[in-house]
Amino acid sequence: MSDFIGYLLTGLGIGAGYALVASGLVAIYRVTRVVNFAQGAFAVVAAMLTASLLGAGLPHGLAELAAVLTAALAGLLVGAVAIGRPGTTPGTSLIVTLGLAVFAYAVEIVIWGDQPRSFPGLPGVAVVGGARLQAHYLLILGVTVPVFVAMAAFFARTDLGKALSACASNPYAARVVGIDTRRMGLFAFALGGALGGLAGVLTTPVQQVTFDSDVTLIVNGLAAAVLGALTRPVVALAGGLLLGVAQTMIAGYGAGAYQLEVALVLMLTAMIVQAARRGAVPEMAR
Amino acid sequence: MNRRMLAALAVVTLALPPLLPERHLATYVLLGLAATVTAGVSMLMGYAGQVSLGQAAFYAIGGYAAGLLTVHGVPTVAGLLAAPVVAALAAVLLGAPLLRLRGHHLAFATLALQLILLSLLGQGDWAGGAIGLQGIPQLPVGGDLGYAYLIWVVLAVVLVICRNVVASRAGRGLRASATSEIAAAANGVAIARYRLAVFALSAAFAGLAGGIYAFYLGYLAPGSFPILLSIEFVVMAVVGGIGTIAGPVVGATVIVLLVQALNTLGTQPGMPGYAPSVLSYAVYALLLVATVLYLPRGIVPAVLDGARVRRGRPSIWGK
Repeated sequence: MSDFIGYLLTGLGIGAGYALVASGLVAIYRVTRVVNFAQGAFAVVAAMLTASLLGAGLPHGLAELAAVLTAALAGLLVGAVAIGRPGTTPGTSLIVTLGLAVFAYAVEIVIWGDQPRSFPGLPGVAVVGGARLQAHYLLILGVTVPVFVAMAAFFARTDLGKALSACASNPYAARVVGIDTRRMGLFAFALGGALGGLAGVLTTPVQQVTFDSDVTLIVNGLAAAVLGALTRPVVALAGGLLLGVAQTMIAGYGAGAYQLEVALVLMLTAMIVQAARRGAVPEMAR
Repeated sequence: MNRRMLAALAVVTLALPPLLPERHLATYVLLGLAATVTAGVSMLMGYAGQVSLGQAAFYAIGGYAAGLLTVHGVPTVAGLLAAPVVAALAAVLLGAPLLRLRGHHLAFATLALQLILLSLLGQGDWAGGAIGLQGIPQLPVGGDLGYAYLIWVVLAVVLVICRNVVASRAGRGLRASATSEIAAAANGVAIARYRLAVFALSAAFAGLAGGIYAFYLGYLAPGSFPILLSIEFVVMAVVGGIGTIAGPVVGATVIVLLVQALNTLGTQPGMPGYAPSVLSYAVYALLLVATVLYLPRGIVPAVLDGARVRRGRPSIWGK
């Protein structure tokens, strides 16, 4: 039983990391209808920067904050390239973000090299219900859940959040009522960058990063986000947690090597079921 | 492109291999392989409107099919013929559920497919695991020069197939569906069947190239087929010009030669050890971004259109 609780909490911690990556994807997709392939790169940049800053003697907290702000800036830059040119379709923007994700590799290798990096997180071991686990997992959960609550409230209750959502559901009408859709899109990219950065900063102490970790991060994040059709943050949170727990249970009770397949098959199944439910003929937006 | 230019191009590319030093001959072969795969990607993106971020998966399937068969005693020619067939069969089986997806969903689904394949290959002892499959015999073509001519013929056949598919009834239907799926379906285009057929055909191209790659190198590992390779094929297709016959060849040539030149530059004494990989990542990224934003139809259509306008005819894009 204590094994089970241990796996459950570890899984929730890992899943919270996926959910944060997913939340960034959702924030950007909701507003711009762009699936941001560079989302994993924000996490990698923030994690590597935190490791460097901590190494340079900056205290915990400050280093993480600086890294998340840098990731937000990176998000803004990616957004400026991806949607800055008028008339860029979401499909084109996806390919642009794909290119920028590859470009991030070049930048990351020049600055930080191609070796894995990590840094210490919250020290100590927590005992919950007889199970021992790294206290850091609880920290991940403790940060992620409020972030999601805040995000859901932001999109549903504030004027800015509603304006952001309006851009996605009907860009023309949004412009008619005076919403600057491009500025809103850039804001969404910055928000997505910060959320991606937060994911990187929080999960790196328990899972080291290399420059090409972004593929795993984006795949797991997308698997979580796709469950909520890329638009619903709370479903993405549930999806991320479910994914983390499922992977940890599978690793804990046997087939450890097949964690990634679980995420991928889950994502494929969710997408195919959703496509079947939508019907054979797609809507006009592409 | 007119007939005379085409003939001249064929003569030049046929005369080239014996004149090349061994190092550049390898580039010639790899360029031909890349162009063959890219032809499929370009057809998929241009005529069926689907982005595949996992085309290297079919390249790997073809390579492993040829490699595994011949390692277990099957004649090399049979192994080579099996490569495209196995890849196409895999594409039909996987495509049946996956092609219900559109746009970014399909892009990520193909990416997921490749990640699953790489993970399975890395763990499967039957495929040599992460270490790879070794001791694949050579094709009886007489050394590197033979491979160069083999891939020339393969690429030529692939391009002719592409041209005929595009000009066929099915090709017209697909082009219509890439602009408006609803309108094409309403006019009786069997979209699902055609899309699956193009998916399988592009997989067969990739599988055939993968088979030749396996024999040429004599060694395969999951690490030879990274996600980045799939992205490379997309970059080549986009840069050359999606949905054109010459586009894949131009795109592959530009990218391969550029990366080769930067590699030479990056391995100069005094350059840091990471220079070659950083330069090639940067080039893929910048070319891809610059092309989709500023030359969305790619190099070939832009050049052809420029020539039309210079001759005093209106641009085919109407601008």
